[in-house]
Amino acid sequence: MEDISCDVLVVGAGPAGSMTAKWAARHGAQVVMLEKRQEIGSPVRCGEGISKSWLPEVGITPSPRWINVEVEGARIFSPSEKVMEINEKHAGNEVGYVVERDAFDKALAIDAANAGTTILLKTHATGVLKEDGKVRGVRAKHFGEPFTIRAKVTVGADGFESQMGRWAGLPTNLQLRDMDSCLQYRMTNVDCDARYCDFYLGKVAPGGYVWIFPKGEGIANVGIGVQVSQVKSAAEVKSYLDRWIQKHPGYAKGKTIDMVGGGVSISQPVKQSVLPGFLLVGDAARMIDPLTGGGIANGCIAGKIAGEVAARAVQSGDASLEALLEYDRRWRQALEEKLLRNWIAKEKLVSLPDATFDKIIDALSGVKLEKLSVLNILKAVRDKYPEVTQEFEAFL
Amino acid sequence: MPGKRDRHIDSFGETCISCGACVGICPLNCIYLDEWRIGFDEDVCTRCGICVRACPVGAITIA
Ligand SMILES: Cc1cc2nc3c(=O)[nH]c(=O)nc-3n(C[C@H](O)[C@H](O)[C@H](O)COP(=O)(O)OP(=O)(O)OC[C@H]3O[C@@H](n4cnc5c(N)ncnc54)[C@H](O)[C@@H]3O)c2cc1C
Ligand code: SF4
Ligand code: SF4
Repeated sequence: MEDISCDVLVVGAGPAGSMTAKWAARHGAQVVMLEKRQEIGSPVRCGEGISKSWLPEVGITPSPRWINVEVEGARIFSPSEKVMEINEKHAGNEVGYVVERDAFDKALAIDAANAGTTILLKTHATGVLKEDGKVRGVRAKHFGEPFTIRAKVTVGADGFESQMGRWAGLPTNLQLRDMDSCLQYRMTNVDCDARYCDFYLGKVAPGGYVWIFPKGEGIANVGIGVQVSQVKSAAEVKSYLDRWIQKHPGYAKGKTIDMVGGGVSISQPVKQSVLPGFLLVGDAARMIDPLTGGGIANGCIAGKIAGEVAARAVQSGDASLEALLEYDRRWRQALEEKLLRNWIAKEKLVSLPDATFDKIIDALSGVKLEKLSVLNILKAVRDKYPEVTQEFEAFL
Repeated sequence: MPGKRDRHIDSFGETCISCGACVGICPLNCIYLDEWRIGFDEDVCTRCGICVRACPVGAITIA
């Protein structure tokens, strides 16, 4: 393959990459997006649950092509399976759709293509080109054939497994405690309630949770995340999930038709997301919500900002650190406060004994929360079990 | 005495589900996942075992 050049180069065609590409192209940049897979969005590495509230602000119109089920709420189960229900009104649109993630990712890539992005599949970035301290593009392989792509702005949107950040020189390394190892089965013939996304907390999934997201017609995504620092032996994550399923007859009778895994960061976001000529976006920049493990919304929100800032840098001929720092400022303004708040809450939750989870859920099962937030939850728990929230006084 | 580096690290195709969890956590960034195949840079890998714990299905062994 011949060497090529472009204005903005996006590595990775997940939600964050496609949003970056779309908004950069819309603002007049000539954009190339690389994806190592042969099919965008597939295989799906995702529970497929998203909320609705953020979609309009990033220009995504809900479509039956990717909405699978619209849920009414979420249910949180304590270790002794006390239930707390959060319905949509109280959750302030925090719950919403279970999507077909492959169709969703493709829809975003189509938007990017319609805005003018060139998409190269089966194209694996293998290293970053750096000259005079500036990132100038990447080395890549297209159908196994090496070539280089030069760009005025290069964007790393290569997901959890990101190597772009490290190649470019940004520290994105994670500690064992900063990551949940995940496994999910798509199961059919299960007794799930299609009105709810269900979450099971406690020792069933140390430092994470078991999730059941309904896909309709007795099909559900049944998955688990376990904090890696709490994993003692190989394949333990799978054992936890299998054990949970065996203990729940409504799921034990089901049949698995698909199996996916993956890593989810539960860390704080990266301290630095920008270098001269380079931006890092989405999971690659550790923008996943460390409490919920959800990262699609944040990746899209940051992607839109990245696209706008990259296009402006191209237009003004200035892709210096100072110019690109606008991206860093804007995504932090949009996301960082909640990310940090939820990170602190997660730090407490990963080591909570089962008895405390039971108390928290018990305290919450009776109350109607105006809006689902860490603060509101803590206040409600304090009313019934003040001893439980002592450690959280800083929040209250 | 065989050194650490003499230990072999392997991921078995029959078990690996190409999920990328090990790639994201390896402190030396020495695991590669093209679309389906996982590979290690044996010269860089220190056999620290972190990837073994991060793998949800136990596909990596160090022996
Ligand atoms: C099991 C599991 C369940 C999850 N469930 C949910 C959920 O229910 N809701 C939610 O909001 N989030 C969920 N997440 C998180 C969510 O999947 C991510 O936050 C989201 O995919 C981030 O988007 P992204 O664009 O940053 O990265 P990705 O979607 O991972 O996209 C990165 C893309 O880059 C490509 N790529 C990587 N390296 C290269 C390279 N060198 N060259 C070319 N291409 C490359 C990859 O193939 C991939 O297509 C879950 C994650 C896991 C693992
Ligand atoms: S053993 Fe350690 S250094 Fe080697 S591949 Fe695994 S995580 Fe990386
Ligand atoms: S973590 Fe395990 S299953 Fe996932 S890519 Fe690595 S070796 Fe394969």
